Amino acid sequence: MNVLHPESILVPADGTQTPCLLGSRCDNCASVVFPQMPVCPACLANGAMQMVEIGRTARLFSHTIARFAPKGFKAPFFQIFVDLPEGPRIFSLVGAECPIEPGVLEDGMDMRLVLEPLADTPESKDLLTYKYVPAASPEKSGKARHA
Amino acid sequence: MREVAIIGVGAHATGQFTEKPLKELGYTAIWGALDDAGVKPADINVAYVGNSIGGLLTGQEGVRGQVVLQHSGITGIPIVNVENACASAATALRGAWLEVASGAVDVALAVGVEKMFIGDSARTIGALSAVSELDLSQMGMQFTTSYAIHPKINLKARMKEYGWTLADFAKPAVKNSFNGSLNPLAQHRRALTIEQVVQSRIVVDPLTLYMCASISDGAAAAVVCSADLAKKFTSKTPVRIASCVLRSGVYRLPDDNRPDTAATTAQAAYEVAGIGPEDLEAVELHDAMAPAELMLYERLGLCGPGEGPKLIDDGITMLQGRVPVNPSGGLCSRGHPVGATGLLQIAELVWQMRGEAGERQIDKRPKVAMAQNQGGLLLGQDSAVYSCTILKT
Ligand SMILES: [Zn+2]
Repeated sequence: MNVLHPESILVPADGTQTPCLLGSRCDNCASVVFPQMPVCPACLANGAMQMVEIGRTARLFSHTIARFAPKGFKAPFFQIFVDLPEGPRIFSLVGAECPIEPGVLEDGMDMRLVLEPLADTPESKDLLTYKYVPAASPEKSGKARHA
Repeated sequence: MREVAIIGVGAHATGQFTEKPLKELGYTAIWGALDDAGVKPADINVAYVGNSIGGLLTGQEGVRGQVVLQHSGITGIPIVNVENACASAATALRGAWLEVASGAVDVALAVGVEKMFIGDSARTIGALSAVSELDLSQMGMQFTTSYAIHPKINLKARMKEYGWTLADFAKPAVKNSFNGSLNPLAQHRRALTIEQVVQSRIVVDPLTLYMCASISDGAAAAVVCSADLAKKFTSKTPVRIASCVLRSGVYRLPDDNRPDTAATTAQAAYEVAGIGPEDLEAVELHDAMAPAELMLYERLGLCGPGEGPKLIDDGITMLQGRVPVNPSGGLCSRGHPVGATGLLQIAELVWQMRGEAGERQIDKRPKVAMAQNQGGLLLGQDSAVYSCTILKT
């Protein structure tokens, strides 16, 4: 499967790794940003950014249900912003295992990363991307779904 | 810098004009402005043409400005194509203003033109989404979503923070739809009630259909010249550009509490013009989603945090209030042909300041007015482009 933003995601090659996002951490001011950048947007240092693994978990900052889908997506679908423990606040989507109903998500709840196809549509079903699901939801066994 | 005056404006009606290409929409606006200003094509020294998504939707790349202007008989002069998201037209006006203010030329033309009805609304929505940074749009981010939950706008959070209700969100749409019902150039001319707005279908929770600007075709143009030359062309009241400020969004880490860029852009415009928000007598602002107008009241300094709905309840921003906002009907009612919107705002204010706005004329003809336009979205930012223009007579 193709990865939508390969520079931004660590896709496990085997069972010894867990997936995560790839951001940049500034050696000068410790800011962490996602996606990766060569210049720190906080202190403007050039050449001080190091790649870091981030985003295995997150906290839900805000969420909505879109009732209209752009091409390649299927409505309704959740759209969210999450706070990563390492610092960044990023836009993301919600994993397919989470039912799309009001009340299922609550701002502030703990989330965990899943890698899965962008959407269940002909245009997007073969594009792997990063999404989040409530941390309390049971972990799916096996890596087959994103192999 | 020289003083610059707007001496003529023109607009094509907004709405669905599927059969009309960009250059036809542009022609109506351009010759409307030329005739209004009393200038001929040969008087124009330079032209800036704003358009946002015409390349993606019509396939015409690279020379849209030249194509549109040639159709109107304007060739040979420097023509600058301006593509700057939903603030393309405001950016075109800035280019024209700067040319004249700097003394490089005496007369300049600014045009904004957009064609969004192409018979395939999914493609149009896709093109609009592409005005966000690709990392966002490829993930399915839409502008509606950004207004609902983006950290720096987050209308959902305002409901909790301020106690704003869906009825409060509907108030700007109701006010503006009334203004639009009086505007013969407006796309949507039905005055809506709170109930109609709240009960229209949900697009992105909590935003309903009538809270969102729809896709639209349209065009607007303005002729600007050195203020001391205005009388040579027209006996109409010249409208001076007191300030014309363009900014871009800034990268914001989650703990960034610096003022919003809409606020800093407005502040810069006030400073250059030597006025404050209390001096404004009319405003056209970027209500791409109706409740965003409530946020913009705060950011333009028209009220304190959370006081937006009260401004409408008290009639202050209504058509005959102390500071009427969106007398044209705004983006939701007048229409939002994205690359034309900034100059549609300017045209409306010029008509109001000259007393030519017909049924929707503000009784106390405004002498100081502001147009606020913004657009685009980047990772790590609020909007990508911000513009504020202050006009005086
Ligand atoms: Zn840094």
